[in-house]
Amino acid sequence: MPLGRLFLRTSTVNRMVSRNSFIASKPDPSKPNMLRVGLAFGSTAVLWALLFKQHSTDLHEYKTRNGLE
Amino acid sequence: MGLLPDEAKVLPPPGIVNRNSLWFGLCGWATAMLHNSLNRRPALKAGVHRQALFITVGWFIGYHLTKYENYKYATLDRDMKEYMRLHPDVFPEKEPKTFAEIVEPFHPIR
Repeated sequence: MPLGRLFLRTSTVNRMVSRNSFIASKPDPSKPNMLRVGLAFGSTAVLWALLFKQHSTDLHEYKTRNGLE
Repeated sequence: MGLLPDEAKVLPPPGIVNRNSLWFGLCGWATAMLHNSLNRRPALKAGVHRQALFITVGWFIGYHLTKYENYKYATLDRDMKEYMRLHPDVFPEKEPKTFAEIVEPFHPIR
């Protein structure tokens, strides 16, 4: 059997990160991966929220420890 | 505060907008733009979610770095003041001089 025929099922069998040249495609900017975009914006929002919360906690701690409030 | 001891909480926290945050945020933005350029995408208009995420990560790291920096400088100041308190003979109080005493006499050549 020609070796090429053995590769026809590679995409179903090989789930690893390596890209099968039979099914690979160039990344298409007009069709964004909305999951990744959503995760990026979501983690951005989470980080900003964490930052503001940490800042307000630190401010409160500073004021209580120095008797300013 | 993860790597700061409890006594660091006595110090005033840095503002949300601080020097290190601005710089690291800018570096994050530059990284995102470089990533766009290397993948032959328009530098500013592509991957806005990536730019936002990188700026935010840089800002976050910068804020905590500023906190750490403030603590380190405060401990150095405290140790220095303690040393000055324990060795007053090495740090004599000097009489303040006026400029008239320091400056050389002026001889105009007209």
